[in-house]
Order: sequence, then C-alpha cells, then structure tokens
Amino acid sequence: MKRRLVLWGGAALGILLLVVAPFTFLHQAYLVHIGIVALFYAILASSWSLLAGYAGQFSFGHMAFMAIGAYTTGLIGKFVRLASAPTGTCTEFPLGGWYLVLQNATGPNCLERGMAQMPPGSLIVQPPILVGILAGTLLGGIFGWLIGVLVLRLRRTYLALFTIGFSEILRVAINAEIDITDGPNGLELDPLFPNGLTLFGRYFEPTDKLPPYFVMLGLFVVSMWLMSWLASSRFGLFIRAIREDQEAAAALGVHVVRYKVLVFVVTSMIAAAAGAVQAHYIGVITPNILLILQMSLVISMAVIGGLESLVGAAIGAILLEFALEFLRRSFTIGTLTVDMTTWRLVFFGILLMLTLRFQRNGLIHPLLERITRAEALRETVAKRQAPAEV
Amino acid sequence: MLRSRRVWWLLAALTALVLALAACAPANVQQVGSPPAAEEEAPGEEAMPAQEEAPGEEAAPAEEAAMEEAETIKIGALAPLSAPGSVTGGEAMKAAFEIALEEINEAGGVLGKPVELILVDTAGQPEQGVAAMEKLINEDKVVAVVGEYHSAVGLAVKEVARQYHIPVVFAETWNDDITASMYPEVFRIAPLSSEVAAVDAKFIASLGGIEKVVIMTENTGYGIPAAESTTERLAELGIEAVTFSADLGTQDFSAIIERIKAEEPDMILVLVTGETSYNFEQQAAEAGIGPQDIPMICNQVAGDSESYWKNVPDGNLCFYRRIGLPRALYTPETQAFAEKYMARTGKADVESYAMEAYDSLKLMAQAINEAGSTDADAIIEALENIEYQGALGTITFPVNSKNPPEAAGVEPKWWHQFPKPAITMVQYQEPGQDSKDAVVVFPEEYKTGEPIIPGR
Amino acid sequence: MLAYVLLWMVLWAMVGGVMTPRIYARKDLDVANTGLAGALMGAALGPFGLALLWWRSPKLTGRWLATPGVLAVLLFAAAFARTYPGNLCVSNGSFVVTQVVNGLILGLIYGLMALGLTLIFSILGVVSFSHGEFYMIGGMLVYYMSVVWLPGLNPLVALVGAALITFLIGVVFERLFLRVMNTGQVERPGEYAILVTFGLAFFLQYLTLALVGATPKKAPRFLDYPRLDWPSPENPWLLRMRAGTVEFLDTVSIATPRVTAALIAMVMLLILMWFLYRTWIGKALRAVSEDRQAAAVTGINPDTMNTLAFGMGTMLAGLSGASLVQVFSWVPWVGTLASARAFVIIVLGGMGSLPGAFVGGLIVGLVEALGAGCIPDPQRAAAYIPAYGMVILTLVLLLKPTGLFGREL
Repeated sequence: MKRRLVLWGGAALGILLLVVAPFTFLHQAYLVHIGIVALFYAILASSWSLLAGYAGQFSFGHMAFMAIGAYTTGLIGKFVRLASAPTGTCTEFPLGGWYLVLQNATGPNCLERGMAQMPPGSLIVQPPILVGILAGTLLGGIFGWLIGVLVLRLRRTYLALFTIGFSEILRVAINAEIDITDGPNGLELDPLFPNGLTLFGRYFEPTDKLPPYFVMLGLFVVSMWLMSWLASSRFGLFIRAIREDQEAAAALGVHVVRYKVLVFVVTSMIAAAAGAVQAHYIGVITPNILLILQMSLVISMAVIGGLESLVGAAIGAILLEFALEFLRRSFTIGTLTVDMTTWRLVFFGILLMLTLRFQRNGLIHPLLERITRAEALRETVAKRQAPAEV
Repeated sequence: MLRSRRVWWLLAALTALVLALAACAPANVQQVGSPPAAEEEAPGEEAMPAQEEAPGEEAAPAEEAAMEEAETIKIGALAPLSAPGSVTGGEAMKAAFEIALEEINEAGGVLGKPVELILVDTAGQPEQGVAAMEKLINEDKVVAVVGEYHSAVGLAVKEVARQYHIPVVFAETWNDDITASMYPEVFRIAPLSSEVAAVDAKFIASLGGIEKVVIMTENTGYGIPAAESTTERLAELGIEAVTFSADLGTQDFSAIIERIKAEEPDMILVLVTGETSYNFEQQAAEAGIGPQDIPMICNQVAGDSESYWKNVPDGNLCFYRRIGLPRALYTPETQAFAEKYMARTGKADVESYAMEAYDSLKLMAQAINEAGSTDADAIIEALENIEYQGALGTITFPVNSKNPPEAAGVEPKWWHQFPKPAITMVQYQEPGQDSKDAVVVFPEEYKTGEPIIPGR
Repeated sequence: MLAYVLLWMVLWAMVGGVMTPRIYARKDLDVANTGLAGALMGAALGPFGLALLWWRSPKLTGRWLATPGVLAVLLFAAAFARTYPGNLCVSNGSFVVTQVVNGLILGLIYGLMALGLTLIFSILGVVSFSHGEFYMIGGMLVYYMSVVWLPGLNPLVALVGAALITFLIGVVFERLFLRVMNTGQVERPGEYAILVTFGLAFFLQYLTLALVGATPKKAPRFLDYPRLDWPSPENPWLLRMRAGTVEFLDTVSIATPRVTAALIAMVMLLILMWFLYRTWIGKALRAVSEDRQAAAVTGINPDTMNTLAFGMGTMLAGLSGASLVQVFSWVPWVGTLASARAFVIIVLGGMGSLPGAFVGGLIVGLVEALGAGCIPDPQRAAAYIPAYGMVILTLVLLLKPTGLFGREL
C-alpha cells in the first residue's frame, strides 16, 4: 500500500514539476525548446521500452512510425482542402455538401485554377491541425498493425533486420519522391496553433513555445498513463510472458498473436502522435529523421534509462537530451581544445556499452527502485525489529 | 482475453475524444473572390501588434540590461560540424571564423568590447539548425548570427531570425528563396543558385560545339533546384540537358556512368558535393568519360587540390567553378586572409566558403561598429548602407529597404544580396597542379589562359 | 503496361502468399516454404498457377519454387521490355553485359564482407551491428599505413596490417563484452548482443570522425597493370589491359582497382575455405557451429572458438574495406551503407551459411547494378539504390526467413 502511495506521489510530483518548470527561472525560450524536444524523445523512448523491453520485440522501426505520423499530417496540410463548391480541376470527392479536394503534386496548381471558376464567396478550408495529427496517429496505428502482423513469425535479430529494412525503404522513398514529400529539403508544416491561441486572457503567438510545450506534456502524460496502465494490467503480464517463452505462454492460454500485434499498434500510435506534434512544432520534417543514428539515440536513451522501466526510459531520455544539448560546445584544457560536438557522441557510445555490460537495468531504473522501495524496506525492518524489542 | 478488448475500447474512446476536440478547433479558411493579398494580411494584422508588444515589454529591457553588464559582444555562428552535414565545409568555415575573430579582437573588438563568437553545429539538418538558432538567441543572447553552409538549414533558420528580429548574414547558402522572401533581417554574401547556373550555362555555351550536357546532381535541397535552373538556362541557349541524381554517400557509380555513356553527352556537369563527387569523377575517368575524355565541370570541392588529387588522380583537365576573386585580382585583404588561412589549415588554397565565412563575420563586426549599438534595427540599417572591403572584394547590399526590388526593377531574390560575388571557371591543366596555379578560363574579364578542351 | 502487370503480379502473389499456407495446413501437409511457393506461383501464373498449386498441393521440392520463380522474373522482364522498348537494358546488349560484370565484381567484395558477418552468426548466434564500422576501419588503416604513417609501404603489406588490427579489435571486444553472454551473466543474451554491438558501432564511427576528421581519403591504386593486348596488339578484341582499365571483348571495361579488389576477395575466399575445411582449428570452428555441446565434449573450447570467430569476422570486414579504399573515397560514415548491405546479403543467403553469403553477395551486386542501370527515370534510378537491397531483405524475411541456403529455423 505504502509503495503505491510513493509511486503515485512521485508521479504527481513529477508532473507538477514539469507543469511548473516553464514558469520558474527556467522560463527561457531555449530551455523550453529543449524541454519540448526532451519530452518528445521521452515519449519515443518509453514507448520503445514497452515494445522492446516489456514485449521483447526489438524493432528498429520506431522512428519510421514517428515519421509516418509526421508526414501524414504534413501531407494533409499540403494537399488536402475542403471546399464548399466543386473546383472542377482537382481530384475531389463530395462530402455532405462539401468537397474533399486533393491537390495535384505536379503541374500547375489545380486549386488556383479551380478557384478562378468557383462561384465567388465559396470557401476553401484547410483541415485543422488536430485532424492531421489524428490522421497521422491512426495511420501510424494501421502501419503498426501491418508490421505487427508481418513480423509475427520473426524473432530478435530477424525482427531487428526487418524493421531496419522497413525504415530504410521509407526513408529512401521519402527522399526520392520530391514532388510529393519535398525530398531532403524537408516538408514544411504549419505551427501547432496557426492563428495563435488565447488562454486565460493571454494571447500566445503561433511561434510561442508554451502552448506546444503543454501539448507535448499532455501527450506525454496521457501516453505514460496509458502505457503504465497497460504494463501493470494483465496485458503487461501477458506480453512479458510472451517475451520470456512464447510457446509456454501460448500453452497457458495467452493469445500470442493478439497481444503481439496489439503492443505494436499501441506503441506505433504513440510514436506517430509524438511525431506529428513534434513536426508541427518544429515546422519542418526531413527524411533524415529516419537515419539509423536517430533511432540509435532513442535506443540509447531507453537503455541508459532502463529498458524495462517506462519511467526510467522517459527520465533517461529527458536527462540525455539535456546533456547532449549542453555538451554541444568545445572546452579547453590547457592548450588542448576539445571539440565536444563529435566527442560527446563518442562518450555516448561508451556510456551505452558500459551500461549494457555492467548495469543491465539502466542507470535510472535502479535509483527509482531504491526510492520507491525505501519505505517498504523501512517498514519491513521496523516489523522485524519490533518483536525483538518486546 | 477481456483485457485486450478493453484496450481497443480505450483507444476508440481516445480517438473519439480527440475527434470531438478537432471539430471545435479553428480552421484556416480561405474565401474565393477576395484578393489573396488581403487574406494573408488579415491574420498578420492580428499578430503584428502582439509581436511588437511582447519584446517591448519583456525582451527589450532584458536585452539592454544584458548589454550593459556584458563585457563582450556576442555573435552567433552556424556551420555543419557533424554528419550528415558537410563536415569538410563546416571545418573550413570554423577555421575562417577563428581567423576573423582574432583579427577583430586584435583591432580592439567591436564598440570597444571584445567579440565572443559562439559557433553551433547544425549537422546540415533544418530541425537542428532551428534548435541551434534558438540556443544562440535565447541562451547566449547573441546580437547577430552569421554563417551556415546548407540551403535547407538556411531556409529554416531565416524564419527563426524573422521571428526574433535578429540580423543574419548567410555565408554559403545558395538557394534563391532565402533572400526572395525579402525578410529585413536576412542578408547573403553567397551567390544565388540561379546566377551560378547562369554562369555554368554561359561557360558551357562559350566552349562551342556542345549540344548535350549530362548533369550529375545530388538529391538534396541544393542539388535538385540547381540542376533545374541550369537545365532552364541551357535550354535558353539551345543546349539539351539530362539530369541524373544520386544520394550523398553513394559509393559505386558504375551503373550510372554506363547510362551516362549511353547518352553520349558532349559535356558533364557535376553538382554532387563532398566525397561523393570524388567518387563520381574518378569512376567516370576510369570508365573513359572523365575530364581527359570529354569536358567536365567538376564540383567546386575540387578546389581543395590536395584532397582532389588524392581522390581523383585521373582528374586532370577538370574545370571547376570558383567563387571569389581570382588570385591575380586578390585585394590586400584577400591576400592577408589567404596566407593566414593556409598557414592555419595547411591547405594549398582557400575555399570559397572559407572566404565567405571570414567575410560574414568581419562584415557583421563592421556593421555593428557603424551602427554604434547592438540594436537589431540599427545593425540592419548599417548593413544596408555598408561598404565593406574583404576577401570577396567590396561587399554592398544595393537592393534594400530604400531601393526595393520593384523600384530597382529586379526580381525579389536580389533583396539584401551581395550582387557581385566573382564567379570564375578554373581548369587544372597539369596533373597534381596546385589550385592556386590552376588557369582561370572564364569569364573574359578574369581570364589567365585558354581552356584546354579534351578531344579537340 | 508495366504498372498493370506489376499490380497483377503483386496482387496474386499476396493472395498466394497468404492463402497457400492455410490451405496446406487445412490439408494437414507440411507448411514449410508454402508462403514462398504461393507467392511465386501467384506472381508467375496468377490464379491458374494458384489453382494448380492448391488443387494438387504437391510436396514443395526445389522445382516447385524455382520454376515459378524463373517464370515470374521472365514475365516481369517481358512486360518491362514491352513498356520501355528504348530502354538501354532492353536495346543494348553490351550495356547489360557491362552492368552484369560490374555488379558481379562488386558483389564478390560485398560477399567477402558478408562472409565475416555470417561466420560470426554461425558460431556466436549474433548479428554484429558494428560490422560496417570494421569495414570502414579496415580502409582507414590501409590509407594511414601506406600514405601517412609509412609512406611508400607496399599497400599489400598495409592490407595484412589492417587485417591484423581489425582482428585484434574484434578479439578484444569479444573478450570484454560478448564473453559474458555464455556465462549467464546477462539475461536474454540475444538482445544484449544486438544492443552492445550497436553501441560499439556508434562509438567506433564517432571516434574515427573525432580522430581523423571528415576530409575524404583515398589510397592510390595497389597495382598498376602492365600494358597488354591480346590476342594481338593490332586487334586486341579479347583483352586490352592498361594501367587503369581492363577491357574484355571490346565492350566490357572495368577499372583495375576493382579487378585488384575482386582478386583479393577471391584469394581471401580460397584461404578461408582452406582454413575452415583443411585445418584443425577450422574444423573445430565448424564443429562448434554445428553443435556447441558436442564440440565441447570432444575437447574443443567453445569460448576460444567464439573469440576466434568474432575476430575472423571483423577481419573479413576490415579486409573488404581495405581492398576497396583504393576504389572509393573514404569517410568515417562509409560503413553505414555497407553494413546494411551485408545484412541483406546474409539474410538472402541464409543466416550462418557460408556459401549463402557468397551467392547472396553476387545477387545483391547484380540487383543493385541492374536496378540503377535499368530504372527508366534517371532522377530516381540512383536515388533508390539503397532501397533495392532493403526490398530484397524484407521480402526474404517475410517469405523465406531461412534464405537460400539457411538451416530451417
């Protein structure tokens, strides 16, 4: 009981800290910016730890789902419009009095030509950002389901290789299909709140950092809550059983296929949602986000935080993101100038290897364990000692 | 069994909730019939006062306070220092920045205070460029920003500069759109991509007898538009062009080279940068369509002659494009910088991006001095009126707020653009030649020798 | 035309791939390879082939896989030729031959690298994600030894030196980080191995970047070939050799550094075969890969064999990099693409199969050369090069995870 209290208290305290942080001395746009990026990586790392740590599905394609979310909302913003009258030039579908208009990727802009013929006063509406993010999340889930079904038979290394392949194909295709995705230049997206936002009588500009921070924080809290609920329910028990011994789990009546696919769907949707929000915040998404290097960052964060601990992975991601940002400068020892831009990644690699070798549970997770168990420990000790004194 | 169904229900419920929220969210609406300009202004009008208000209340006093206390003047610099950016370019720019910084501080700094340069890595990625800019402006409180190499980064960074109203002088980002958006904060001393394309096309036509050109380009924000505008310019001159593109990092070009061979081009133009260009050039030479077989404009990275000859030993007679004054016309400033740069890096010549990086910083320092303050508007005004003597020659920005493009009768891309970065075509005429001895063959005004055209 | 044919083939391949295992399972037959057979049959003959397969449901011998496989390739080629009659791959025979030869030569070298990876997998049961970094280091070492540290050193000596050093790095890493997998000190060793080799890759790549910088490096040609014309100097229609190129049959010309690299790869293959099949240690290695426990009983120390296999694997990667540093310009991140390619090859050939790695290398070399040579749109042809291999990888993993020569899972 006590432990539960400590856990909930810790979670509430953590969230409170994150909520209050941008209003304290940390209220600097740059710090808030790193905070948003750190939360983004925290979502990715913890959802990856659910997938890889709990369920044992070593996917290297997590960034691909994230990119699917980001590109979906970006492409909707670029190509999809709602019009109150048919354009006659674009591909369009009637939709209850309105028309869903798809713009063409090549050739003269069909919408502009169509507007010349449309009756004056007709409206052209860009779908709200939220619809884009939602569509990105859904599509991420659909791809997660697809990949989950396809990799059912594959284990460990085979799964890792398959997901690398999937991610690479996606990257190369985005790179090469310049007409649609703008290729390596990156797809530009609207800000999260294109018209600004008025909350509690205060007006926030589209470029202000606080609204995106709270959107990302909200997404982080919701996804952490969802994942910890899943992990502590029978779902979590089952996926860990599957991880340890698939045959044995199946023999005991665990529906292996259903749970394996489901964990892919859930984690992909979370990654896709994070990607969509992040892309709108940054304003541009490039296929380089799919480079193995980016994936290795997420993996390292999860490993160093604690592969089998959602909170550990999230904290690990936040700490490492801040560390990587602040190490991005050179320092001088005597006459020797060390340029940290490259060396920080060297140290990162060493830290990853040493953590794996000597601290398999990560660096953050054992700390958390100690804190949450301290109370239980004291209780036990007290109980043991109490009768002795009597 | 039951549990998994509950998960699905939960997901469905969340979806419904978000959908409901989405329905209430405000949307971007465009009305047919009203002039587009007016529409764009409408949200702008709303946003503008708020934007002015915010810095007026919060940022400005903070800035002033910071300035009074600060003992140094901070200038930010951007360069790609890690992959996938062009690290070669970034490292050269870094060396040039360091030289410029030493010179500025030896001459007494700016406004009587020493200058502190804060160089941040962008890795050639737009999102990292944005983060770097956020850091420079918000954490380091720089008064101005210089540098950058990759156009994709420049395109993203200029938005941040606009947002915070911080003057930027871009060093080596060629994409036309960077100045074409006419932001008051954005200046550029690199050439325009379309102008470079025009020089390439004119040079190709000047050789005579060229009917078909193969353009080997890189699949990036620099390569694709550059290939497109070169194709257009060549078409104007009646020359056909076929474009092949490859990812940066491609090692084996043999399949592509066979296809190029089958096109039977009269000339090849290489717009691939970095080590990938060396791979292509050497493999083309080995396959018999190298610079010694047909005229080839190698990529400008060939200007680093030591690295070039190591990587492309069969690359004699290659033409390459050089930005910046030719050696014979070096000003004393160019000469002085070149000597320091070569001594520091051990290279045999100065790359154009090193000159640009050096000039961008020194130019900014001079502008701050002339402005007499670190206020952004004052710096921008000083930059618009500047006449700076540097490694690239005399830099001015004649198309500016007093002489807007409409009044000057030029396209918007010339806004805050250094109009005359000297662009020359140079040719290696002996194997192993130092790039400083390479012959300038185009244009007429800078020529030091005749081009040797292989096969004629 | 091509698009419709492709759509037809993919559609029926999907139907075949999904349905055939179920039909076999319902008939209570062996389901091994049924997915692959169904997909190939569907692609080649559409519903007719599938009907035949489902009705007869034969035992799936190699013939039932090879015939529809060949037919599907032929169908695709025919549709391609009809759609793009002017394409070089259709109209120009010598172009195709050149592409094929180029592809095979590179495939041989890729195969050498993949051989190292598959050797590691067959003994340790681990796919090393740092394989590409050893390839990169091999090349860097040859460059530094023969150009910077000891100018004038014979590159072939540098090659041996690079092999030794990469071998040593591999051995040290195995002792420090992979040995614990067998002592029960780590849970779930398979996943541990993926992550720790991944960390090593990260570390090695950035360490190299920090130490040597990003300027491209390239070693001079190892060998200058003598001038040779055959059969006669006046009419050298069979072979014309120069310092830089070799030309066969007046059509196929190949740069000599590639020929040298391919020759080195061949020699290494022969040495490796001799080592594995004729020496005691080689036989011990193969014994461990067959059955660890049984090998241990006969007095072979499996731990030593692990170390040896990992070192040899990294050495083979280092050697292929070392032989290619005279062909390509070298930067610290060349290993990334190379290791991705090695993954494709060993999956295609069958994980742990030595002949598989060799054949897989040749096939991947061919597919990349023909893909880049034949895709009609010149803007896309080269941009898609990294994807060709990955498409093979995902298809093989889906349809036949054991690859061409792999043991059954």
